[in-house]
Amino acid sequence: MNIKEIKSELINEKYYEIEHSSGLRIFVWPKEGYNTTYGIFGTPFGSIYNNFTVNGENVKVPDGIAHYLEHKLFESEDGDAFTLYASTGANANAYTSFEKTCYLFSCTKDFERCLEILLNFVRSPYFTAETVAKEQGIIGQEIKMYEDSPDWRVMFNMLGGMYRNHPVKIDIAGTVETIAEIDADKLYKCYNTYYNLHNMALSVVGKVTVDEVLSICDRILTPQEKVDVVTHFPEEPYEVVEKYVEQILPVAVPIFDLGFKASGKTPASEKQIAYTDILLFLLASSTSKMYRELMDKGLINSTFSYEQFEGPGFYSIFFGGESRDPESAAVVIKEYISRLRKEGIDPEDFENARRATYGDALSSLNSVDTSANLLEDFCFNRRSIFAYFDAIASATPQDIEKRLEEILDTENTTLSVIKGV
Amino acid sequence: MNNVVVTDIAPGVRFSEVRDSRFKTMRISATALVPLENSTVAQYALLSQVLTRSCREYPDFTELSRKLSSLYGASLEAGVRKLGETLGLTFSVSGIDDRYALDGESICAELSELLCSVLFEPKLVDGNFDNDEIEQERRQLIDLSDSEINDKRAYSNKRLLEFMCEGEAYGIRRYGSAEQIRAVTAEELKTAWTTLLKDAKFEIIYVGDTAPVTAKRVFSEKFSSVERTPAELNTFVVRKAGEVRSFTDTMEVAQAKLLMGFRTDCATPDEDVTAMRLMCAILGGGANSKFFKNVREKQSLCYYCFSRFHRVKGILTVESGVEADNVEKAKNAILTELQAMQNGDITEDEINFAKLSVANDFVSICDTVSGIQEWYLSQLCDGRFLTVKEASDEFAAITKDEIVKAAQKLTLDTVYVLKGKEEDV
Repeated sequence: MNIKEIKSELINEKYYEIEHSSGLRIFVWPKEGYNTTYGIFGTPFGSIYNNFTVNGENVKVPDGIAHYLEHKLFESEDGDAFTLYASTGANANAYTSFEKTCYLFSCTKDFERCLEILLNFVRSPYFTAETVAKEQGIIGQEIKMYEDSPDWRVMFNMLGGMYRNHPVKIDIAGTVETIAEIDADKLYKCYNTYYNLHNMALSVVGKVTVDEVLSICDRILTPQEKVDVVTHFPEEPYEVVEKYVEQILPVAVPIFDLGFKASGKTPASEKQIAYTDILLFLLASSTSKMYRELMDKGLINSTFSYEQFEGPGFYSIFFGGESRDPESAAVVIKEYISRLRKEGIDPEDFENARRATYGDALSSLNSVDTSANLLEDFCFNRRSIFAYFDAIASATPQDIEKRLEEILDTENTTLSVIKGV
Repeated sequence: MNNVVVTDIAPGVRFSEVRDSRFKTMRISATALVPLENSTVAQYALLSQVLTRSCREYPDFTELSRKLSSLYGASLEAGVRKLGETLGLTFSVSGIDDRYALDGESICAELSELLCSVLFEPKLVDGNFDNDEIEQERRQLIDLSDSEINDKRAYSNKRLLEFMCEGEAYGIRRYGSAEQIRAVTAEELKTAWTTLLKDAKFEIIYVGDTAPVTAKRVFSEKFSSVERTPAELNTFVVRKAGEVRSFTDTMEVAQAKLLMGFRTDCATPDEDVTAMRLMCAILGGGANSKFFKNVREKQSLCYYCFSRFHRVKGILTVESGVEADNVEKAKNAILTELQAMQNGDITEDEINFAKLSVANDFVSICDTVSGIQEWYLSQLCDGRFLTVKEASDEFAAITKDEIVKAAQKLTLDTVYVLKGKEEDV
């Protein structure tokens, strides 16, 4: 077993990374003075993992199975995980994203028991025809709830317009039809492939020590054989599929998402992520000229936001919010991007953006939840959190200009709009 | 639990400071409390937006934003909410703690002055708020108000309260209606501002590591120049429901929403408020509640089913998202769980688990800057100041008998359903 201390002089923080003898990678980030301990146990298996080869066998699974598996794993032979946690008072939950599934708790006492419960139930699948069938109704209602959410729809419509083949365009929960194809066998197949300790990561943050975590892990976790798995993503062309997509839903003010597709062939580095954050701040935050013009022209309101969206095989930038005239908003956004390319980056804008990005990132570490989720994210993406901070601190205007050349292709965009009835 | 020092710095103005070195950020909020009234609600809502857009020192919105970003992405925000039949306007600044400033500047002092000047020294043109600025913020506030329909869950909650509390202040929307926002004049806005400084109660709360010397000084100075006459704040509690009333909205939706509103015959500062809160947690508070276990897990009727106790107003609401065909079934399932509670059909485990969960939530609150701030604000509004430990102890002392009694006080007032339009057959 190997315990490494990972330190940042810049922000005066440290956590520990442990290669556990069971094969599991463990992160422990003690935070002085906190009352809460937050534990999260995840696997890099999300909605986009619908085609893989395991031990020589090629497997295709129904859309939404990662999320379904998350719901079902919460149940064991002797009741659901919520009941197990109940006597500790801890808050427990789980979520599935495009690229990972995570199980978590947040407790203020009985930490040992909480961690035991977490490690045990995630490693004890129990799926029968009956329990799988029961979930259809609950997840069916979850899917319908999202169908009524214009914010959710506008994004998935956009992804559908941007991506021809990549499964990132598929709704995380699948559809009522695809989840009907899910059975216990398929759940076990996914479980046995991706819920292997060698793939997974455990992060514990807050009121905790390395010894506390290890004493439990040593006791519970036994070494596991590696599974030989290759995930397949279809070839994705550079170009978007549709420039414009629209849906009618009951909204008062139209909602839009404007996505700039870039190549997702190579994973983004800490520097690329950091430079993009600085770039987006100086381009589109409320301090920017672009934001000002959009506001003055009445093309956006305070819901306007932007996002760097990336993962295995996909990378894009979104701008979105409510607008009475999304098409004009999109024109203005593209003009400003072109102008920034032509005129270069103002040093004062750069410095403000660098500071603001640093401040935002620093503030996020206040929270044990955010810190723990960041550890999982960065681990599965093979990135380091502190390298991200260093990249912000040492960024130069030239770095940002260079990044601008790599992304935000104004010819390769999809505008998604939800209009009112 | 953090120590809090509360100082009265002017009539009806309290300054509470919580010093805490764990966080990388600090935050100061000033919450102005005024009566929630139909005639002024839109004015106050618009005022809160106009005030945080600019100030005398930074008369332009972009300039103000740039100032904030130079302070390491500090933020200045305004929020409007209902606390019973009181309207709360919260103005807040937050930024990184002085320790983390790359050039040793005092962000805390700068942000304190900024928050104070936003409230006391707005940008005025010939004595009035600038028309262009008003129009910009008016447009956005109308959007904000109109867009409440986008989130069907929040929207249906709002509709339930509108129907249930028709004629009561609690039924008023927090931003007012779009028509009311459209009608606000520059003069009314100016009056709302001067009234706010004169008549609102203010709770100023600081959380951070640095001593809030500047904040305390600037707010004390500014408030001492105002002749303060703080208004009385009351919430009218309807103790029992009359006939059950039902309302339905139809809209293009895939999932129906079922909401029920009960009168609780119990509201702050009644003694049984804690018992009612615990009852509400057992009934529909989370994953170990009766609703979650039975309505969701056993009957697979929904993805969510929660209950919420509006303790200042004395209302308990239940909300769920269901298949339109299952509305009746879900309603019966919910009432069955309530009936069980009223019959004393509650296990010791259910009670203990809810108590543990509440205690866990309370302790966790103190691990975030905004959580600490919200805790103290709600204590100040409740009129009795409890630490997290004291509040948890109160919950722990509640007996089954008190829970059953609380459940028995509920009377169903209003049922609201939002559902899709009937298809032509």
